[in-house]
Amino acid sequence: MSRIEQFQYDNRIVRAFGMAAFIWALVGMLVGLILAFQLIFPSLNFSQLGIPYLTFGRLRPLHTNAVIFAFIGNGIFMGVYYSLQRLLKARMFSDMLSWTHFWSWQIVILCAALTLPFGLTTSSEYAELIWPIDILITLVWVIFGVNMFGTIIKRRESHLYVAIWFYIATWITVAVLHIVRSFELPYSLFGSYPLFAGVQDALVQWWYGHNAVAFFLTTPYLGLMYYFLPKAANRPVYSYKLSIIHFWALIFIYIWAGPHHLLYSSLPDWVQSLGTVFSIMLIAPSWGGMLNGLLTLRGAWDRVRQDPVLKFLVVAVTAYGMSTFEGPMLSIKSVNAISHFTDWTIAHVHVGALGWNGFLTFGVLYWLWPRMYRTKLHSTGLANTHFWIGTLGIIFYAIPLYWAGFTQSLMWKEFTPEGTMAWGNFLDTVKQIIPMYAMRTIGGTLYFVGAILGVYNLVKTAQQGTFMAEEAAEAPAREPKPVAVAGEYWHKWIEARPIQMLIWSAILISIGGIVQIIPMVFIENQVPKIASVKPYTPLELEGRDLYIREGCVGCHSQLVRPFRSETVRYGEYSKSGEYVYDRPFLWGSKRTGPDLQREGGRNLDRWHYDHLIDPRVTSPGSIMPQYPYLADNELDLSQLPAKINALRQLGTPYPKGFEDRAIADAETQAQQIAKNLQEQGVQDEGLETKEITAIIAYLQRLGTDIKVEKSATNQ
Amino acid sequence: MKFAKYIFTFLLLGVAASAWSQSAAAVAEPANTDSFAQVMTYILAIAGAVLFIVAMIYVVKVNQFLYSRVLDLEASKSGVKLPEAAAETAKKAGDSFWTRIRKQYWEDAVPIEREHEILSHHDFDGIRELDNRLPPWWVNLFILTVVWGGIYMYYYHFGGGGPSSAEEYKIEMERAEAEQSIALAGMANAVDENNVVALTESSALSEGELIFKNVCVACHGPNGEGTVGPNMTDEYWLHGGGINNIFKTIKYGVPEKGMISWQSQLTPSDIQKVSSYILTLQGTNPPNGKEPQGEIWVPEAAADSTATDTPGSGGE
Repeated sequence: MSRIEQFQYDNRIVRAFGMAAFIWALVGMLVGLILAFQLIFPSLNFSQLGIPYLTFGRLRPLHTNAVIFAFIGNGIFMGVYYSLQRLLKARMFSDMLSWTHFWSWQIVILCAALTLPFGLTTSSEYAELIWPIDILITLVWVIFGVNMFGTIIKRRESHLYVAIWFYIATWITVAVLHIVRSFELPYSLFGSYPLFAGVQDALVQWWYGHNAVAFFLTTPYLGLMYYFLPKAANRPVYSYKLSIIHFWALIFIYIWAGPHHLLYSSLPDWVQSLGTVFSIMLIAPSWGGMLNGLLTLRGAWDRVRQDPVLKFLVVAVTAYGMSTFEGPMLSIKSVNAISHFTDWTIAHVHVGALGWNGFLTFGVLYWLWPRMYRTKLHSTGLANTHFWIGTLGIIFYAIPLYWAGFTQSLMWKEFTPEGTMAWGNFLDTVKQIIPMYAMRTIGGTLYFVGAILGVYNLVKTAQQGTFMAEEAAEAPAREPKPVAVAGEYWHKWIEARPIQMLIWSAILISIGGIVQIIPMVFIENQVPKIASVKPYTPLELEGRDLYIREGCVGCHSQLVRPFRSETVRYGEYSKSGEYVYDRPFLWGSKRTGPDLQREGGRNLDRWHYDHLIDPRVTSPGSIMPQYPYLADNELDLSQLPAKINALRQLGTPYPKGFEDRAIADAETQAQQIAKNLQEQGVQDEGLETKEITAIIAYLQRLGTDIKVEKSATNQ
Repeated sequence: MKFAKYIFTFLLLGVAASAWSQSAAAVAEPANTDSFAQVMTYILAIAGAVLFIVAMIYVVKVNQFLYSRVLDLEASKSGVKLPEAAAETAKKAGDSFWTRIRKQYWEDAVPIEREHEILSHHDFDGIRELDNRLPPWWVNLFILTVVWGGIYMYYYHFGGGGPSSAEEYKIEMERAEAEQSIALAGMANAVDENNVVALTESSALSEGELIFKNVCVACHGPNGEGTVGPNMTDEYWLHGGGINNIFKTIKYGVPEKGMISWQSQLTPSDIQKVSSYILTLQGTNPPNGKEPQGEIWVPEAAADSTATDTPGSGGE
């Protein structure tokens, strides 16, 4: 037996991450609330006053990033820094790294908050941050990894508990996802184009996006659950075998499921089917986590009634179970045909975010704070109130949106017997669900009020206690080599070998991505070429970047699915060959407004002009923000040569020397559009130098390449 | 007494069953017109069946529980105590057939009072682990989904004959076309640009006005005075005036001029009504009227209306 060693756990870093978590929680939720109100009162976008920073399109990524990376991210680090030290019987590897990690992560968040409202975005969901921030994130992640593995190496426990398996898988997978998603070529300090284009970019995006949910919102939180739930319930984990099977199955299968975000898109059918099949196979591995959590509470259910911590944890795990059942159901193509692009998806993710991540974080905070401050929770009653308000909030949030999504989808699909669309005007389907949007704000407000109560309770708890910065602990030193005990379970072998654990996790999580992405990128016939599809003109390119800046993709898809209800409404369904020059792809994931894939030539330039300045003029009742400043802002063409060069390097066939003609080319096209506008009755002068001409040029180009081909064959 | 209880239970179930069949019938109505509603009917029916089965199981369970309570009560009344030890031995003597089935396929947790037998010796920061068997239903669910996945891939990609997305679309369009042609065989909708006549009944005109307010005002102004699109109240027409030309312009649109085709959104009789309404705007001379575009239209010119086919002839 080795001698007993004495050491101290670092609680300061845990408290720092915890405080960051709840501060960012309030910020992220507040932005979410603003967005919810903007959908009812478009004037809350404030863009009609010429303030461009607060539109729905720009705030939406701020909300998702603040909740995912700021609130939940800090929640992860809080839980990991607390549990890792104790599960390994070791202080964190380096205090310096811990604090570098903490501050650099907060800087990443601040950078996000300072870039997204300014329209600096890549537009890839959950990877919107521009390339310099991507590099910073990579560095933070390496620091976190070194600190975590350093602690694992100097641990006093010989074996790794299941929570740490999840932390390891999280770390390696997020690293792989982030790096591959960030393959991009910068053309300026703020701007870049992604390596992949069109359908390939879409596949890489949803491989990333789906697994950001899997490995940022799920696996680390499962790790936290495996530590904090048995601790709070004071019960043994239900089944060690279940932990093993569901862990490995989960990380292997999850990575394959990304294409379920692209069902009925122009992604090849075989990749879509893999997405569906692996999503269905994911039910059991996901539920393994829920079962192991809920069954751990056997014999402790009487305490769930009294202890707010357990209440939060139980609802969190239940919400996890519900959303991981719903997710696979939404991955079945016939269900997805209804749910996709509607608020159903929004309801689904909020059950996960508010229920699973939100409630688990609050449960953990309520458990941690009294312990770290050596006191009792300030008010159990207040915590219970928080619990009930929060639960009601989730219900009032989710049910109206399920209703809205289902209703709107049915309206989109409804035909009269004569074969016309029953709701031919898209706007009518939007007006129909505004009351549901209003109800959703009640849910969101309730949840937010609950969170404020929670923060107040935690602050009060801190005030009444004394903080234990250094927590003394002792444990025997670890034997240099793990000793195999005869008859012990085979899995114990890898539990004593963190590096092998890391390698095997890396191998397992790579397989799905490799099978799906490599053929899509390297096998030519996966994306059939269409001869008439040409690169964007310089002005259209600028317009496209403005479209990205304003976050139009947050509400408008550019993907017509092969359904009668879509081809009648929008036009020919999308072909993968149409998108080969789309860097990034802009298919979108939500239709708050109509699809724009076939917008080109559908309306006059004048119509777009009027509509952008004030959507209510052409479309009474529209909830789109106004963009009057597009007609005031000077169009900046100075980066065009750099953009053209970057795109050519990535494979867009702009001829050599085109970068020198690009600005002149754009000016000529802008003059033509300004002339059109004038002919069509727009009074304003000097529009040829304004941003609005570029965005109109882009909108009028959308989807027209294959219209050209059609009329050519007809003649 | 006992009989009454069972009868009551069955009555309840009967009510439930008929309620379900009624709701299914109610939903089945639109199924004739819409294949989507049909799918939803199936889903509702299946959900109903599942609920029904769950309810049945629940009722049986409640009965079992009540029955055991009755036994307990009667035992305590008569002063007979069920011997604990006997119950223990009964458990050990071997599980009943159903218990064995349950343990094999459904659930097989070690009871809490015996969990020390499967408790790990080691603890992680005080957390210990039980070594319970994987829940058999969970394992079965997992296997089922994997098998389903194999069947799915075979059906759609390895010779199972499942349609591709593009084929599904073709089937859907063919079916829609067939249904549409049947529906259009009805008189009211057989209106087209050749046989259309202007309606004058006020009910038809007010319906036409409603359509105009809904879809036309965005480009032609609330009173037809013209904004993005041309003025509808003067006697100048870009694509020919008169009911036939207006009908044709609305139906097929003039895409190069920004006028979209409305035939997918408005039925032929809708187009007739709105065209008739537009004709009533002639000479109303609303404020802010747009300057005239096109040519003065005289009915004789209708026979050789080439205006529709010569884009670019518009303007002053």
